[in-house]
Amino acid sequence: MITSPALSPTAAARQWFLARGDLGALIEAIRETGRRIIGPTIREGAIVYDEVQTAADLPAGWRDEQSAGRYRLERGPDDRVFGYTVGPTPWKRFTFPPNLTIATAHRANAFGFEQPVPDVPPVAFLGVRACEIAALAIQDRVFLGGQFTDEDFRARRSAAFIVAVQCTTSSSTCFCTSMETGPEVRGGYDILLTEIDGGFVVQAGSPGGAAIVAKLPTRRPSHAEAGAAVDNVEAVRTQMGAPLPMAGIGERLKLQLDHPRWAQVADRCVECGNCTMSCPTCFCTSVAEKSDLDGRTSSTERQWDSCFDVAFAKVAGGDFRARPRDRYRQWLTHKFGTWWDQFGTSGCVGCGRCITWCPVRIDVREELAAIAPPIPPVIRPVAVEPVAASPGTYSIARLASIRPETEDTTTLSLTDVDPAFLSGRPGQFVMIALPAFPAVPISISRFRANAIDLTIRAVGATSTALGNLHPGAKVGLRGPLGTFWPIEEAYGRHAVVVAGGVGLSPLHGLVDALVANHDRFESVSLFYGSRTPEDQLFRDDLAAWSASKAIDVAVTVDRAGPEWKGRVGVVTTLFDKISWDCAKVTAFVVGPERMMQASVQGLISKGVPADRICVSMERHMECGIGLCGHCQMAGRFVCKDGPVFRLDELGDMFNREGI
Amino acid sequence: MATPGRTARPRVAVVKFASCDGCQLTILDLENQLLEIVTRFDIVEFPEATSRRSPGPYDIVFVEGSISAPEHIDAIKELRKQARILVTIGACATAGGIQAMRNWADHDAYRAAIYEHPEWIESLATATPVADHVKVDAELRGCPIDGGQLAELLTSVLVGRRPQIRDEAVCRECKRKGIVCLVVAAGEACMGPITTSGCNALCPTYGRGCYACFGPRAGANAKSWSAGLLKSGRPPEEVWRLFAGFTAYAEPFRSTITELGKKG
Repeated sequence: MITSPALSPTAAARQWFLARGDLGALIEAIRETGRRIIGPTIREGAIVYDEVQTAADLPAGWRDEQSAGRYRLERGPDDRVFGYTVGPTPWKRFTFPPNLTIATAHRANAFGFEQPVPDVPPVAFLGVRACEIAALAIQDRVFLGGQFTDEDFRARRSAAFIVAVQCTTSSSTCFCTSMETGPEVRGGYDILLTEIDGGFVVQAGSPGGAAIVAKLPTRRPSHAEAGAAVDNVEAVRTQMGAPLPMAGIGERLKLQLDHPRWAQVADRCVECGNCTMSCPTCFCTSVAEKSDLDGRTSSTERQWDSCFDVAFAKVAGGDFRARPRDRYRQWLTHKFGTWWDQFGTSGCVGCGRCITWCPVRIDVREELAAIAPPIPPVIRPVAVEPVAASPGTYSIARLASIRPETEDTTTLSLTDVDPAFLSGRPGQFVMIALPAFPAVPISISRFRANAIDLTIRAVGATSTALGNLHPGAKVGLRGPLGTFWPIEEAYGRHAVVVAGGVGLSPLHGLVDALVANHDRFESVSLFYGSRTPEDQLFRDDLAAWSASKAIDVAVTVDRAGPEWKGRVGVVTTLFDKISWDCAKVTAFVVGPERMMQASVQGLISKGVPADRICVSMERHMECGIGLCGHCQMAGRFVCKDGPVFRLDELGDMFNREGI
Repeated sequence: MATPGRTARPRVAVVKFASCDGCQLTILDLENQLLEIVTRFDIVEFPEATSRRSPGPYDIVFVEGSISAPEHIDAIKELRKQARILVTIGACATAGGIQAMRNWADHDAYRAAIYEHPEWIESLATATPVADHVKVDAELRGCPIDGGQLAELLTSVLVGRRPQIRDEAVCRECKRKGIVCLVVAAGEACMGPITTSGCNALCPTYGRGCYACFGPRAGANAKSWSAGLLKSGRPPEEVWRLFAGFTAYAEPFRSTITELGKKG
C-alpha cells in the first residue's frame, strides 16, 4: 500500500498562509524538485487534469456547473483558482493509464516474453480533492492490497506527490458526505491547500511537503483566515444536504437481485461505459496482442475496459451476463456491495462523475434508492431483556397443565415463570430444555396472567419428551427471544392474520391482542387453513373467536370426511372473501414455507403492499441469540433479527430456494 | 491455394461494387507497411491499384461497395465461390452505405429525377449489404475503414488467429484518449454511445459528434438513444438524420429510422 511518510501531529497541524499571487512559487518549488506537475487546466470546455507549467494555466475564476448528463464551465463570482469541483477525468489516468504495454514477446531469433520495467518520472498532482484521495486509496487496495500486485501502478503511485485541495463548493452530483470520503481531506497528501479570500491556508502532510512549504513566501494565517478555511469546507457539507442513507447498502442490494428496476434502468442505459471509464476506482481492463505481420514480435496492450462491454463476460460457450440488465446489475452491485467483500471498502467515493458523464442521465443515487431502499427499522427490538440469555443458563418453570391439541400437538401451560416471560410480546419465542434433552425454540402461543403457553408438536426428541410431561414437572427456559409482531403498524387498518397448520401457534397471542384492541383497527380477521379438521389447533378458541364480533374467522381444510360442513381448499382460497381496500391491509402470515409463499403472493396480487406483510420464519436454532450460526438467512439471524420479519426486509430472499 | 511456383503467399483480390473507392484507398494509404504487405501477400486483383487481372480462386477477397445493380448479385455469388476468406470493407459493403437511403424511397422517382435517360440505368430498387447475399467471414467497418484494423486483419490471417477487433462504444475511445464528452459538456448530437469503435474517436477528437459511420455496435440501445435525443429538444427530422447516415440500413438503426419516419 502507498502511504505518505509520517509527519508529527504538531507539524501536520501547522498552518501557513500563501497569497493567491504567490501560487506560482509553489509550482516553481515543486518543479525545482524535478517533478512534472499535473493539475487543472481548461480544455474542451471542461476542467481537465493536464500538464501545468505556470499558475496562469490554472482555471482561476472558473466554476463548473454539473448535473446528470450535463457539464458546463462558467465564470464564477470570484477569482478562486479551485472554485470548481471535479473534472471529467479521474486521476487514475496517471496512476493506471488507459493504455499500457504490459509485455512484449518475440520468436524471431530467440523465443521469449518480456515485461517492461516501469519507468515513471516523478510527478506532482495538483488539486486532488478529498473524494479523489479516497479513490486513490481504494485503487491502492485493489492493486496493492492483496497477494498479487500491479507493479506498474505501484511505480506510478509512488512517483506522485499529492497537493490536495479542499473543496469549497459542491456540484449537484457530489455525494462525498454520503460515502464518508469528504468534504474535508483526511490525509493521504503531501501538501494541503484550503482556498480562502486572497489566498490559501497551507498545511504539510509529509516531510517532502514540509520541505516544499518551507521554501514558499508564507506567513502565519490570522485567526480569521484559519477560521475561514474551516468554515469554507464546512459550508460544502451543508450545501450537499443530508447524506443518503447508505448504511447496509451492500446487503440491501444483495437482497434485490431480482428487482424489476434492473430491467427498467437497463432500458435507459446505452452501455457506453462512460460511468466506469469516468469512475476513479473502476479497474477493469482487457488486453490485445499487437504484432508485426508475421507475429514474430508482438506486444500485449492493456486498456481500460468496462463491465458494460457486451463481450466482457463472454466465453467460448456463451455469455455469462448476456442481458444489459445483468451488466448494469453487475456494475452497481459490485461498486456498492461486493466491493466490500473483496476489498473491505466501498467502490464508490461519491465524486458523482458517473452521474454527470452519463449521456442518458442515469443517477446512481436514484437507482440505489429505488432498487435497495433503506430498510426502515420497523420491527422493534426485543421489548424485554431476556432472562438466561446465555446458552447453558436456564430459568426454571413449572408445568401447570398440559392439554392435547391434535394427535401430535400439545399445549403446555407454564407457571412460576420469571416475570420477563410474562412481559414478552406475541411472536417471540423461548428456548426450552430438559436435562439430557437439547434446547428447542418454541413460540409463546399465549400470554396469561401468571403463565405462558407453549404449543409443541412432537417431531423430535425434546418436543416428544415435553409432550409426555405431567403437571408439576420442571423445565428450563431462556427468553423471551426474537422480534415480535408490530401490532401498532396495523392501527387504523384492516388487520389480517393468515395461519397454516401449527403456524397458528405463534399467531395465537397476536390474535388475542388484536381481539382485545379490536376498536383500534378498521377490521380484524383470521384465515386459518389446516390439512384436516383434526389438525386444527385451539378448537375452543376458534369457536369463541367465531362467535365474537371483534374478529371475522374463516377456516378451511385441505381435505375432510363427510362430517365436515365447512370449507375445503387451501388457505388462499379464503382470500376471495377479502372485499376491503387492500392498500389498507396489514397482514401477518405464518405456516409452512410453501403456504407462506402462496399466501404472500395471493395478498400481493390482491394489492396488499409488501411492506405491510409480516411473516415469521422458521430455521434451525440452537443458541437463539445469533451466536451459533444455524439460523442464518441471507445476512440475518432468524433468531435475533427475526423470527418476525417485514417482507421488504427479506427482499427476494423470501421466495428463494436454498437460502 | 497459393500460386504455384511461388512462395506460399496468400492470393488477395480487392474488388468493388457500388462505392466511392475510399476504402480501397485506405489500403494504399498504409504506406509504410505496403512493402511488407506485398512481400507477404500476392495482390493479384486490385483494379484501383493495378490493371493486372487474375481469375480466382483467391485466399482473401476484400469486397467494397453495396449490392445495388442486378449484375452485382451474380458477381458476388461467384466471388464467394472463388474466396477462401471473404471480407467486406466499409459502410457500403457492411451496411449498404449512404446509397441504402433509397431503400426507404421511390427508386424510380429518384432515377427519373437524376438521369436524363433513366431507362438506360439498370439498378436495383435497394442497395443492400453483401452479407444479405452471401456468407461473410469478416467485416471491417467505417467510412472509410481504419488502416489499423485492416493491418490487424492481415496480420491475423498470417499469424492464424482471430482478428482482435473490438465491438465497443466510440465513447470508450474518447475516454481513453481523454476527450471531453461532447454530449455532456457541449450538448452536441453524437452517435458515439451506440456506434462501434475502430476510428479511435476521430470526429470527437476534432470537436465534432460521431455520425455513426462504423455503424451500430452489438446490442446498441438505439431506442433509448433516439428517445434521449428527442427529449433533449431535437426535432424528429434532426434525430432521423443522425440515424439515416452511412450505416442507416444496419439494424437497429434501420427500424429506428422507420419509426422516426412515421413520427416525422
